[in-house]
Amino acid sequence: MTNQEIEQKVRDILAAKLGIDVGTIRGDSRLAEDLGVDSFGAVELMFELEEAFGLKIPDSEIEHVRTVNDIVVYLSGWLSKNPGR
Amino acid sequence: MNRRRVVVTGMGVVACNGTGVEEFWRANVEGRSGIGPIDAFDASDLTSQIGGQVRGFDPGLYMPAETAKRVDRFVHFGLACADMALKASRLDPAAEDPTRIGVIIGSGLGGLLFHEEQIVAAFDRGANRINPMSVPRITPNAVASQIGIRHGFKGPNMVISTACASGAHAIGEAFRKIQHGEADICLTGGVEAPLTRFNFGAYCAMRVLSKNNGDPAGASRPFDLGRDGFVMSEGGAVLVLEEREHALRRGAPVLAEVTGYAANSGAHHMVMPDPEGADAAGVMSAALRDAGISRVDLISAHATSTRANDAAETRAIKAVFGGDAHGIPVSATKSMIGHSIGAAGAIEAVVCVKAIEQDFAPPTINLNQRDPACDLDYVPNQGRSLKVGTVLSNSFGFGNCNVSLIFAKAR
Repeated sequence: MTNQEIEQKVRDILAAKLGIDVGTIRGDSRLAEDLGVDSFGAVELMFELEEAFGLKIPDSEIEHVRTVNDIVVYLSGWLSKNPGR
Repeated sequence: MNRRRVVVTGMGVVACNGTGVEEFWRANVEGRSGIGPIDAFDASDLTSQIGGQVRGFDPGLYMPAETAKRVDRFVHFGLACADMALKASRLDPAAEDPTRIGVIIGSGLGGLLFHEEQIVAAFDRGANRINPMSVPRITPNAVASQIGIRHGFKGPNMVISTACASGAHAIGEAFRKIQHGEADICLTGGVEAPLTRFNFGAYCAMRVLSKNNGDPAGASRPFDLGRDGFVMSEGGAVLVLEEREHALRRGAPVLAEVTGYAANSGAHHMVMPDPEGADAAGVMSAALRDAGISRVDLISAHATSTRANDAAETRAIKAVFGGDAHGIPVSATKSMIGHSIGAAGAIEAVVCVKAIEQDFAPPTINLNQRDPACDLDYVPNQGRSLKVGTVLSNSFGFGNCNVSLIFAKAR
């Protein structure tokens, strides 16, 4: 999966979750400040990403995620280390 | 003491025989059953395979898609009914003090559908794969909280869980909250989405459900000699209860008045009613005293279509009204609606208010051969026009939780 494909999938998940147009979500959109994702919303989002990408995101990672790009970087790193997925 | 009076200013209902007050009432007037074969889940290995499913219900008509996606079916019913009731009451939440508006809803089971799904997932895939929305979706008070969140109501907010009496308990407690000045308006009622494989199987295991699978519409037959258990259904109802002066000041539609409420316990058994019906008689008498009356024009019976309940309730009605009992029509609308557990008392409250408004006693359908132990006027098979100034509504829950409510014509 290319970074572009990962980003597209993340943006689709976010758009569906937040009920907003996918075009309004950019790579540098900040989850809390720009998209209004509160701390429990972030927990839900991580669960949806885990389901969609088939991984388990540790709590320690969630604290480092601020933007859409942060999610994409984390996921692409994980996927490159787990090529079978 | 001059008690504050409480009126009904709006109603919403979702039931297997009709969604929306008008469609639902028409079904009750015409004696139309909503019972059919169950296809919400696989019931093929169960003794009972029939129920009252709500069909063609689109939660998206009553709430944003985002909300619809995040809540369980019992909350869908609650939000939809609240939406209908508020529209009917012509209440403008923006014009009201939100701290004076409460939400008190009954639910026996909470978010059982999602609960089951997540339990299966936890065992199949691991407990570290449980959806983080599980707790807020499953908890029974999700329904009252979601109604509060959606409309910004900041008064007392709670869910009452007393099995089949939940909806009636909720209405009674909301009535008291307004009487006692703790709120001016309460959205109140009951909801239930009990048609899940585990829950339905559990009721089958208790052997309390009708096995009349060959004739679904004829299976719920309160007071009939051939009755063989109740028929489970899903749905909900919400009423807007309002302090009378408040309602009159804003020119609200006043549909009926709530004038009496009582609750007690038989302290006898978790499933069986007291065969003498002393607790049921006691709760009816107490509600009549609360309303300051000794007779009513119509009784909306709990009448589940189980052998034990219908005979005990009949005995209790006769104990309360003595010689007058034979002159009071007794409607058993579960014959058409089925038994929606925590929603039943609220759905039947809608029946009571419409009966008062339309001066009409709905029928007890499927009553072909009366049980000799059940010898009152049950309005068999055909509804009847009559002056309905007052109605007594009974709800008796597993665990001997009993509630009686009195509704009266607005004056």
